[in-house]
Amino acid sequence: MHKINDYTKSREAFARAVKVIPSGIYGHQGPAEGCYVPVEAFPLYSSKARGTYLWDLDGNRFIDYMCAYGPNILGYHDPDVDAAAARQRAISDCTTLPNTVMIDFADLLVDTVACADWAFFAKNGGDTTTLAVMTARAYTRRKKIIFFKGYYHGVAPWTQKIDYAGVIEEDVMHNLYCEWNNYEQLEELFQTYKGEIAAVIGQPYMHGNFMDNQLPAPGFWQKVRKLCTDHDTVLIVDDVRAGFRLDLAGSDHYFGFEADLICFCKALANGYNVSALCGKDFLKNTVSSISYTGSYWMSAVPFAAAIACIEKMKRIDSPRILLEKGTKLGEGLKATATKYGFDLRVTGAPSLFYLRLADDPTLRLHQEWIAECVKRGVFFTNHHNHFINAALSEADIAETVEIADEAFAVLRERHPL
Amino acid sequence: MKDTAILARCNLFAVLGSIPHLLKLDPDAAALVAGKNIRIGFAVKDGPRATLIFKDGEAEMVKGTDGCSIKLWFPSVDKFNALIDGTGTPIPVSGFHHIGFLLGPFTKLTDLLSAYLRPDPERLADPVFFERSTTLMLYVIGRAIVQIGNHDKVGQFSASNITDGKIKLGIGDTLAVAIHCRDHHLMFNHTPNDEGVTSQMVFDSLTTARDLFDGKINAIVAVGMGQVRIGGMISQVDNINRILDRVAIYLA
Repeated sequence: MHKINDYTKSREAFARAVKVIPSGIYGHQGPAEGCYVPVEAFPLYSSKARGTYLWDLDGNRFIDYMCAYGPNILGYHDPDVDAAAARQRAISDCTTLPNTVMIDFADLLVDTVACADWAFFAKNGGDTTTLAVMTARAYTRRKKIIFFKGYYHGVAPWTQKIDYAGVIEEDVMHNLYCEWNNYEQLEELFQTYKGEIAAVIGQPYMHGNFMDNQLPAPGFWQKVRKLCTDHDTVLIVDDVRAGFRLDLAGSDHYFGFEADLICFCKALANGYNVSALCGKDFLKNTVSSISYTGSYWMSAVPFAAAIACIEKMKRIDSPRILLEKGTKLGEGLKATATKYGFDLRVTGAPSLFYLRLADDPTLRLHQEWIAECVKRGVFFTNHHNHFINAALSEADIAETVEIADEAFAVLRERHPL
Repeated sequence: MKDTAILARCNLFAVLGSIPHLLKLDPDAAALVAGKNIRIGFAVKDGPRATLIFKDGEAEMVKGTDGCSIKLWFPSVDKFNALIDGTGTPIPVSGFHHIGFLLGPFTKLTDLLSAYLRPDPERLADPVFFERSTTLMLYVIGRAIVQIGNHDKVGQFSASNITDGKIKLGIGDTLAVAIHCRDHHLMFNHTPNDEGVTSQMVFDSLTTARDLFDGKINAIVAVGMGQVRIGGMISQVDNINRILDRVAIYLA
């Protein structure tokens, strides 16, 4: 039996934080947006991280299946990536003139990513999705953008919705929405707004929250690709979340089509802060014409880290490793659930698996189970997809399944058949 | 940002619509209408219509103005909103012999309602007043959520993202209202049980609820601090919260 965690120090830190930081912890890593239910089951601050593990402020160790919400792909503090970053830091980082490591990184991405003829660097995923949409609008001289419902493309006003605080109608008035995998609906939008659609933007598959994740229907992306080509509309793949976990050549390559623009961030540099927009040659001049930059966007250390990360991912064939580990974990969790008479759904790609206990449509049972896992040292979240990293070992998977088993036992005792 | 037609709906169905709750909460309010059997109709041109029915010291609000004893006509939503603001006067178009009730008990009742909904801060130190005021605010907010979710353009967008179910908004273990959602249409329930609740947002105390209603604390922080409990289909709560933000725009 695993011990039940105590989070006294996390709570104390949070109480201190709310006095000086809006929300204490804002955004997706905060307890509200992160859907920490009940909040007492979750740690709030980390003290250190190594490999696949995260330690909280109270010294509890977690097998971390959120991987910093994606950036941790090789394991926290991967020695090869950290060494490359340290070497570059000793030379230069944020300087008046960029270091040529930036060109080395662009060369590597162009060689690695199937649809890439060039690469533009920034810091966060949202920087690249915004640049992608600006590029599409500048190139086509059109305004409208089609989104697939359940999307997440960052937090810039255009990515948000009309009912979000701080967003005005004009920010989102050219956004059109289409159901995921509904090609007919997409085609209708193209007919209704003929000649007005600048871009279709989509994640490679639907990894929305509160619902099972959905892979593309057979032929869906290929039809979308053709529709965009036929209407001179730019096809943007937001690969910020899934990028490099499915396929080092890009998730469009994985699903057998080619994007015009593809956005990367999370797994690009194993936690060093860099993002990249890659694209086809015909859009390169357009991107050149856009005024878009940032104070730290040409810092050299993250470029060096990213090069080391990509080279290592290639060397170890990380997509295969993540697929194998994710599959094994998903099967283990499902078998344990079945043992106690629960119906656990594991959806999406195994390397970015999404969990839902389908026995209770209100999701309360699911929230209870996740809470029991977290309290025992497996960091899952309730309604977001999870992430596998290459440092996850067979023993970690076994321990995870063991903890999941304990959690299911608690649930069954609480909710007898 | 604020549509006066929606404000009129909130004023009629949420603010005046809370009078039945006021009668149950405050014996003085109930005494004002004891023994009265009267139906006051509110008809707003290009706006909402409803009747407040007073009977045996209790009240209920129904849609429409059929069969009302006294009918108040408002030539525009602005004129009706002015009445609720205290800057306008109603014009009876029928039932003139009930004018005494209108100018007497009913006016006192609405004054009492205003005292609870826009309280003098010093009066909130009285725990009984505090509890009644906060409870009434919960009812007004619940009713306003429904009006905004069903009729306001931005509120309708939020409602379009709410799946079918029953969302409970509670204070402690004893007080709760519920918003029912079916096909993205919202309905208010002031006496919900826990059966069929698909999601909930529960404040740990009247004080927390009050502070949130008054904008003194933030819901995100309160969730983190464990003062507000959310659970179940949280996307429903998330979208109700977005409508709640608009309630503040209309009724603050």
